[in-house]
Amino acid sequence: MAESQPPDTVIDAQDLRMVYPPAKSGGTGTVAVDGVSFQVHRGEIFGLLGPNGAGKTTTISILTTLIKATAGHARIEGIDVLERPHDVRRKIGLVFQKSTADEELTGRENLSIEAGLYGLSGAGIASHATELLNQMDLGSFADRLVKTYSGGMRRRLELAVGIVHNPRLLFLDEPTLGLDPQGRAGFWRYIRSLREGKGLTVLMTTHYLDEADQLCDRIAVVDHGKIIALGAPKELKESLGGDTLELSVGAGAADPTPVLKALPGVTTVARKGDTYRVKCSNGQSLVPKAVMAAAQAGVDITGATVITPTLDEVFLELTGRSYREEGDVPDREDGSESEPAPATGGAA
Amino acid sequence: MMLPAFSLIRREYLRWIRAPTWVISGLMSPILYLLLFGQAFDLGKLLPAGTPPGVLAQVLSGAPNYFSYFAVGMVAFASVTAAMFSGTGIIFDKQLGILQRILSTPISRRSVFLSSLVFRGMLTLIPAFLVVGFAFLLVHVPGVTGLSVGAGVGVLDGAQFLVAALILSVAFTALFLSFGFAAQRIESYFGVVTILQLPILLTSNAMYPVSIMPKWLQYLVGFNPISLAVNVMRMSLFGTAGYPYSAGVYLLGLLAWAGLFVALALFLASKALSTDVGPKGSALSQAIAE
Repeated sequence: MAESQPPDTVIDAQDLRMVYPPAKSGGTGTVAVDGVSFQVHRGEIFGLLGPNGAGKTTTISILTTLIKATAGHARIEGIDVLERPHDVRRKIGLVFQKSTADEELTGRENLSIEAGLYGLSGAGIASHATELLNQMDLGSFADRLVKTYSGGMRRRLELAVGIVHNPRLLFLDEPTLGLDPQGRAGFWRYIRSLREGKGLTVLMTTHYLDEADQLCDRIAVVDHGKIIALGAPKELKESLGGDTLELSVGAGAADPTPVLKALPGVTTVARKGDTYRVKCSNGQSLVPKAVMAAAQAGVDITGATVITPTLDEVFLELTGRSYREEGDVPDREDGSESEPAPATGGAA
Repeated sequence: MMLPAFSLIRREYLRWIRAPTWVISGLMSPILYLLLFGQAFDLGKLLPAGTPPGVLAQVLSGAPNYFSYFAVGMVAFASVTAAMFSGTGIIFDKQLGILQRILSTPISRRSVFLSSLVFRGMLTLIPAFLVVGFAFLLVHVPGVTGLSVGAGVGVLDGAQFLVAALILSVAFTALFLSFGFAAQRIESYFGVVTILQLPILLTSNAMYPVSIMPKWLQYLVGFNPISLAVNVMRMSLFGTAGYPYSAGVYLLGLLAWAGLFVALALFLASKALSTDVGPKGSALSQAIAE
């Protein structure tokens, strides 16, 4: 994206707040979204990343006009979601967490009925639907009832339903929830192909760290209704200050800290038993230098591990707790889901 | 605005055509009533032998026999029974998230409600037609009584019969749709419907003549929308003798009920489809929130 000129803002969220009223009168409300502001630029895949209950779905529901925010403003393509929800709905596509296709209908019927809700019908939309179904590899299942579809097919159908009216902005709420790793990787491919082919802008929520890392151009890390970090995944990871090199030494070996600290690119060295954690700008190239330097100082390195920063560590750094411990947090967004917080690929 | 609503009607139609079970289950009670109750419970046979034929006709508001009188009541009953399923689709759509998806599209909230009302209202007429046809056919079955009508029944009478059946269908479809919009669970919906079913039917003149009821019950029955529709339908087939008011008055009363139920349904639908969250907001938004 050209940084020289101001980017084309598609979503502009300003200080959104959502307080759900208490279940019983007299109780205190639940603050689901607590002053969230961000902009999404045209053509990017923007991710809201956070554990369950962080306020991601609520934020999407506000932006897609499904619920009214308690406070704050949001504009989609310059249109205020509170003042002109109807016009906003014309501009956007939405794929829900849950499968919302009608099971008793075929894939093709689901598409044509969805198109009809946007006032689109006729031969043009029918051939467009066929094209979409083929693109999603559902061509041979187009005329089967959705209840016979597999989980992955359903997700792909949801995606097709979400874009049948050719929106330029697509909201995806936990698009790969419940898919196996293979299915998820496949689904990312479809989303990328849509971005390339149709120039779609995508706002997605996810609680999968690797999904945010690999799919999103920029991510906002959300926790307890607040954005705690925002940037490209690479920037966020670099903000941690580079790699960590873990060196093991034999029992009773001398302390190599002074020689390690003298090496170029090393910022800190911390000792934990027989292991030294060396923060550095480039872990890979430091390994031979560190081994040599330690050997010259008479210390035998028995093992070396390079840890490149992950979003998991970003999260740890920002919140003081590991992302993977989040499974116990009471679930507000996902309702029935009691999915353990992801431990997938994020910590490579 | 018409096109999106048509799309929803098409969806309901496709769903229904693949599983029209509820029409059959809705038909069961009225058909059984016609075949068993209507045949067994012949008021005419209770009159002492030698009673002039005019007496029975007077009691039965001009109907030639009790079965014919009763069959018209069952037509109305079939509509109302079928209408009792009207709100179920909305509840499932809410639970499955389909309604949320529909609401994320530009279709107007009113179209969502109206498409349900139109389609379900039409569907509830089907059992009514089937019951009429069945009752007519029984005339040709030896050993059972069928529906026979006066000689002078014309096209206009038929049209009047239809109009009454249609307004009755719309009224009860709206009433049960409004329960569907309000209810969160299918259990609570059918809880309410089951409570209402018998009182609605038994405080009407669908099964027995008003003239043999105690005064207080007559009063209640007179205002029942089923009675108002059945009055008009019987007047169409058996003549207007013996009614204190004209068919137009009964139709107006029926229209008033329909208007009331549609207004109630509109109110509950707009509440259910609202994007406000909170005590004044919709349970749907609340569900999204959770």
